[in-house]
Amino acid sequence: MLNIYEAKAANQRRSFVIVFLFAVFVAAAIYILANAWGAYTGSPIDSLGIVGIALIVSGISSFASYYYSDKIILGISGARRATPQEDRLFTQVVENLCIGAGIPRPALYVIDDPSPNAFATGRDQNHAAICATSGLLAKLNRSELEGVFGHELTHIKNYDTRLMAVVAVMVGLIALLGDWFLRITWFGGRRNREEGEVGTIFLILGIVFAILSPFVGMLIQLAISRRREFMADAGSVEITRQPEDLISALKKISDDPTPMRNANKATAHLYIENPFKKTGHGKVGWFSGLFDTHPPVAERIKILKSML
Amino acid sequence: MIYVLLIIGVILLIWAVTTYNFFVGSKARIKAAVQEIGNQLKRQADLIPNLEESTKGYLSHEKGIFEMLTEARKAIAAAVDSGDVQKMSEAGTQLAQVLPSLRVAVESNPELKASEVVINLMDELRDTSDKIMYARRLVIDLTADFNVKRATVPSNIIANAFGFAELPGLITPQEGEHLEVSEQDLETPKVKLN
Repeated sequence: MLNIYEAKAANQRRSFVIVFLFAVFVAAAIYILANAWGAYTGSPIDSLGIVGIALIVSGISSFASYYYSDKIILGISGARRATPQEDRLFTQVVENLCIGAGIPRPALYVIDDPSPNAFATGRDQNHAAICATSGLLAKLNRSELEGVFGHELTHIKNYDTRLMAVVAVMVGLIALLGDWFLRITWFGGRRNREEGEVGTIFLILGIVFAILSPFVGMLIQLAISRRREFMADAGSVEITRQPEDLISALKKISDDPTPMRNANKATAHLYIENPFKKTGHGKVGWFSGLFDTHPPVAERIKILKSML
Repeated sequence: MIYVLLIIGVILLIWAVTTYNFFVGSKARIKAAVQEIGNQLKRQADLIPNLEESTKGYLSHEKGIFEMLTEARKAIAAAVDSGDVQKMSEAGTQLAQVLPSLRVAVESNPELKASEVVINLMDELRDTSDKIMYARRLVIDLTADFNVKRATVPSNIIANAFGFAELPGLITPQEGEHLEVSEQDLETPKVKLN
């Protein structure tokens, strides 16, 4: 039996370990790919330069989605600003939770979509936004909505958009490096190839890493995403102290058969529950679970029940 | 060697400053959170005259309720002015105890039950009760964080060195509307979307 403080501490520890592992993995992959590049071209300066270029390319592609993350949802078709008159319950509930969490109230948006779901985004607490579907607001009662928005507010409080943006840049960096390395070894002409034993080892390792590391990086990225979901669930309970409401909200959301019309892969990890509904897969084994942004609802409910 | 010592020294200094700032910052945040309780209580108290105005004609036989509400209002105004957390908390509880009987009175009167003004006012009152509950929760959480850090190693070194005393926090009332689930809470809300 975990109390909420222990659950929170355990989540933070696990999250730290997994992010730390990710950092070690990224460092190792960069080190090996850069050395392999150096061994292939025979010039270590080249290899450092190529890491820099890859970092810039990967950074630029993710920077916009990070920095303007709160503005981008406006571009998602159908998103409109919530007003206290029209969306009384939505604004009231979020306002109240913000008082409890001690954070400024984020901008609120409504997407006209019958599928019940919600997500949060924004680079920090002052540029945060919470978006709910009209289906969510219509199908859940007040207490359940508190559970859902407590979850989203915890994403904001924990700077999850920022973390996932950094992780995405790093995964992109490794993928680019691996891709470029495979290209030059495939198509590029041989230049002053270093014929040492070390050079050969790095070359072989480089090819292995170039092929595998984008994949491994993505798997760790998804593991981080799932860990942050557990953290957001625990954070929601910390604000509302009502695990049973979040449980019934999660049940309602996952039992609803309608998939999101405007689901967006870039923000999928910030939704309360995977916006791409799985259909037709009766058995979901641990292997296909590796590719999910969200942990299975049954497991989330099990953990929430232990907090009752 | 000198560099190693220097680096350790700098790290220790950064830690000491961060910890000190945590204690000072927490105190400021708790103060702000207490003010928030006061704000919300005031908001609640201000709603009562409106409600009284729009229900007076229908609830003339429920004079007792309005007397109690007026009492509670006065208590809130006095407590908020005094700035004392405990008094505010007590005044809030006083009001929270009258509200359910008001709700019963309103709901048993079909004309009031249908009146949009009354529905909105009741909803606002209920929402404000929630806001007070959450504001109170924040004070409790922040105080708990403060007190835990103050008592645990190693941050207690800083707390003792600068004489940060344990904060009393709030004594939570054991009863009141914020602990009850009304029928309204269990209903699925209807949201108008155009």
